[in-house]
Amino acid sequence: MLALRQAVTRRKLALLIILALLPLGLAVILDSTVAEEGTLIGPVLGGLVISVTLPITVMVLATGAFGNEVEDRTLSLLTTKPVPRWTIVLAKFAATVVVAAPLMAAVAAVITMMDPDGTGNAPLAAAVGVVVGVVAYASAFTWLGLLTTRALGFGLVYVLLWEALITTFLSGTRYLSIRSYIFGTAYGINDVFGEDLTIALTPAVVGAGLVTVVFFLLTVRRLSRMDIQ
Amino acid sequence: MTTASRPAVEVQNVSKWYGSVVAVNEASFDIYPGVTGILGPNGAGKTTLLSMMCGLVKPSRGSVRVLGEEVQGNIGLYRRIGVMLEHDVLYPFMTGRDFVRLAARLQGMNDEAAVDRAIHAANLEDAQHRPTGTYSRGMRQRIRLAGAIVHEPDVLILDEPLNGTDPRQRVEFADFVARLSTQGKAILISSHILEEVEALADRILLVVSGKLAAAGDFHAIREKLDERPFHVRIGASKQREMAAALVALDSVESVSLDESGSIEVLTRNVAELQRMAPRLAQDIGSRLYRIEPLDDSLESVFSYVVQR
Repeated sequence: MLALRQAVTRRKLALLIILALLPLGLAVILDSTVAEEGTLIGPVLGGLVISVTLPITVMVLATGAFGNEVEDRTLSLLTTKPVPRWTIVLAKFAATVVVAAPLMAAVAAVITMMDPDGTGNAPLAAAVGVVVGVVAYASAFTWLGLLTTRALGFGLVYVLLWEALITTFLSGTRYLSIRSYIFGTAYGINDVFGEDLTIALTPAVVGAGLVTVVFFLLTVRRLSRMDIQ
Repeated sequence: MTTASRPAVEVQNVSKWYGSVVAVNEASFDIYPGVTGILGPNGAGKTTLLSMMCGLVKPSRGSVRVLGEEVQGNIGLYRRIGVMLEHDVLYPFMTGRDFVRLAARLQGMNDEAAVDRAIHAANLEDAQHRPTGTYSRGMRQRIRLAGAIVHEPDVLILDEPLNGTDPRQRVEFADFVARLSTQGKAILISSHILEEVEALADRILLVVSGKLAAAGDFHAIREKLDERPFHVRIGASKQREMAAALVALDSVESVSLDESGSIEVLTRNVAELQRMAPRLAQDIGSRLYRIEPLDDSLESVFSYVVQR
């Protein structure tokens, strides 16, 4: 509860609502004007929600999970107690997932439902893919927040350069892209999410799992070894 | 409870550097049950030393053992250590009681009576249900102290605990620390204020520029400090006559006139000088404008001890 209370400040909550409403608003406008099949799933869900809104939402929450405690020096209140480091990391990680996953999954599912192509289990596929992405991003950005005080800057560069640009044009790099894991998971459940930018379901899920576990362990290691002022 | 025969904290050849900056240099000392003060000017390395004793900062060299165990990475040891660091940090959205309760739960305790005892010891019963964001600085210090002692630790490490407290609270705190020390606990208190430590500690560690300058009984070290020569500047209308009168005092080592016409006196007894100067000025019919200690800063006090 403490991690959750710290993760969601009023400012962050306002930012999250704006980030969630932005693609929904765009979807409503496009739905009433264009209304072509795949318009909402492609540019809005794939281009905006999964490529931009989701990583930024998770980044804001996850980098602050430890970053804010390092900055305001409350981290020592936790680390001078007989609490295993992995449980501290798990609480921070879980707080980000608990806030971001339902919000982003709901946004993804609603946008998919608005698309004429989004029938059957397509909204569920979008939601599951997004949750997989939230979990992987949360782990990576939690580590980044503990590693540097400039986590937001580095995170933005990573999202815009690696996830949005390089992995789009260099197909071999998709196996190292969280965005591809999201598409791969969604495509594995419902093929409406297109084959062009995706990887298969198994490497997508395994890749996301590996990213989550590796960065989780790196965060625990970092918290155990760093000097806490 | 710690035993008197074994040190509660053992610091052996500890150094800590950040890049080219040496924060602590080859410090070695033991801390036994009772109250020990770590005294030194701001930036001397006190907080770094305490952070290493808390296991929050890893020494670049040397070892720190608390209650016979390596402290670094030894999470279980925190059941026997209470820590209150210098930074005035709390969760402002929590009430004081919730903060102490959280500290207890993080210690694996679900004991409301222990929370009550800690809040009572910190004398915050009346304010315990208010959010800590509404507390004064002194109240925040006291609720943090309650959080540090709720599990009744054997070793209590307090970094600048009297910051922001008023004189009455300081007296209460001194009583509180004295009570804990009679229970066989080792209490380590840092401060940059000599008088603060004097009121609390029996033994002191004097830290200057990252080095341990002196360690031992407080009163023996204080005597050395009191014996040191002080520079004092005196402004008077009849400088030469006043200088001649001052140099006749036993405690005055030398007298000189500076370019501005002030008298600079080197004395081993500032109190006597302050008492005698007005009388001497009256005797020779001189006006006395000011008596100004030139090196009463902590840094000069500590430098003197280092030189000795």
